[in-house]
Amino acid sequence: MIKIDNLTKTYTSKEGDIQALKGVSLYVGRGRIFGVIGQSGAGKSTLIRCINMLERPTSGTVTVDGKDMGALTGKELLRARQEISMIFQHFNLLASRTVFDNVAYPLEIQGLKKSAITERVLPLLELVGLHERARYYPSQLSGGQKQRVGIARALASRPKVLLCDEATSALDPQTTKSILALLKDINKKFDLTIVLITHEMIVIKEICDKVAVIENGRIVEEGGVLEVFTNPRTQTAREFIGTVISQHLPPFLSEIGLSPVPVDSGKLLVRLSFIGASAGQPILAGAIRAYNVDISIIYGNIDSIKDTPFGTLIAEVSGKSDDINSALAYFGRQNLRVEVLGYVP
Amino acid sequence: MSPEIIRLLWQSCLETFYMVTVSSLVSFALGMPLGVLLTITGKGHIKENPKVNQGVGAVINAIRSTPFIILMVAIVPFTRWVVGSSIGTTAAIVPLTVSATPFVARIVESSLKEVPHGVVEAALSMGSTPLEVIYKVLLPEALSGIILGLTLTVVSLIGYSAMAGVIGGGGLGDLAIRYGYQRFEEKVMIATVVILIFIVQLVQSSGDFLSRKTDKSRL
Repeated sequence: MIKIDNLTKTYTSKEGDIQALKGVSLYVGRGRIFGVIGQSGAGKSTLIRCINMLERPTSGTVTVDGKDMGALTGKELLRARQEISMIFQHFNLLASRTVFDNVAYPLEIQGLKKSAITERVLPLLELVGLHERARYYPSQLSGGQKQRVGIARALASRPKVLLCDEATSALDPQTTKSILALLKDINKKFDLTIVLITHEMIVIKEICDKVAVIENGRIVEEGGVLEVFTNPRTQTAREFIGTVISQHLPPFLSEIGLSPVPVDSGKLLVRLSFIGASAGQPILAGAIRAYNVDISIIYGNIDSIKDTPFGTLIAEVSGKSDDINSALAYFGRQNLRVEVLGYVP
Repeated sequence: MSPEIIRLLWQSCLETFYMVTVSSLVSFALGMPLGVLLTITGKGHIKENPKVNQGVGAVINAIRSTPFIILMVAIVPFTRWVVGSSIGTTAAIVPLTVSATPFVARIVESSLKEVPHGVVEAALSMGSTPLEVIYKVLLPEALSGIILGLTLTVVSLIGYSAMAGVIGGGGLGDLAIRYGYQRFEEKVMIATVVILIFIVQLVQSSGDFLSRKTDKSRL
């Protein structure tokens, strides 16, 4: 649906050139939710604006639904933009228009008749849960409600693609979740391709199929969300993941001072991570029975990444060292990732 | 006060009203598009064009820095060309308009610049043409600020119209000078000042009211 090929963008100014994008290539399949995560200044804002040509790329191509966006003439571009909607961090609603008239705006500029506009706007307000607020002005709404208006407005022109520019960054965690749920819902309902940029890993974790990590104008890591979460290859990706799934030992464990080599009567501390299907299996009980070891859970955390359970456990394993090794091998066979943390003195 | 003075006061009121109304309307009509032009050709706006922006800006600054009383006599040939005479109430409208137009342009420009860039960007992302951005986004969003600015323009024009006596324009200010000052008729002076205060108050509070009424950003 969207193909970005070797995109660069350089801003020239008196103080010198700034390369915001240094050769970005991406592919987003139809109906997918694709997330681009990066710190501020990484180039993600420029990247998303190059998709609808709000920013003209310096070189490279952007193809949306088979159309080379950079090659379109003025009128063609305006028409193409009607199929690529956008929502924003600060909602960018027209303060002088009511909720209804904000959602009607894209239809007005397409020249639809009043009755046709009403016919389309009302169901959209229903969809985002704001049909009772149709006559309100944006200043009378909460942040989450404003973003719902933004989403309804974005859907009015029946777009194929929705671009989300930090759409939840100005919202509290609760509202963020409800907006993400709404995005997930419309993605399914309208087979809408969504590209979102964010600096919040929770957004990626909740709704994205694929994620690209952008740093300094380059994509440094890209892949399925589950894959990147469970096996991050770059430090940047690890840091982002650390913001939603703790990678650190609980403080009381790091205070004890673990020994890297076995100590007398010491217990082995391991971190077990599991994804998807294995999360439901009684693996620990299996190991205790089969290998004559004791396992006590010190710390655990189960999360889900776009509906797939993902968990980590920190457990103390005690027993004969042969038995412990057999148990660890057994965990590996059950598709758990095993990381030996050290021995408790 | 003699009936004669009252008749003069009334006539002066009408002259002031005529001068201020016509010059306000014409300067709004000319200043608004100029303000829009200044805004959209500004840096980072929808039709960025430094040459046009600086060119128009320079002319506007030149007019604005000329004191009104000098402008009035300096443009006499232009006034004669426009209205066929350089003396009288109608003739006074020309310099009033010339001096108010750049003022309106700047006021409109500063109001339009208050419209957040993101809102313009959103309109563009939906496929709006530049004209649609101007008529459906910039002007309606800035309306309340523009109304306040136009109110300010009308109030300044009432003040400037007092100088119209120099070219025989008449009006309340001229009456105050000729009767109140030169003929020591204190009552006339006081009456004109009271009437002017009343008019300015009326204009300002109507402007404030309209501005509040159109401002939907604070409900």
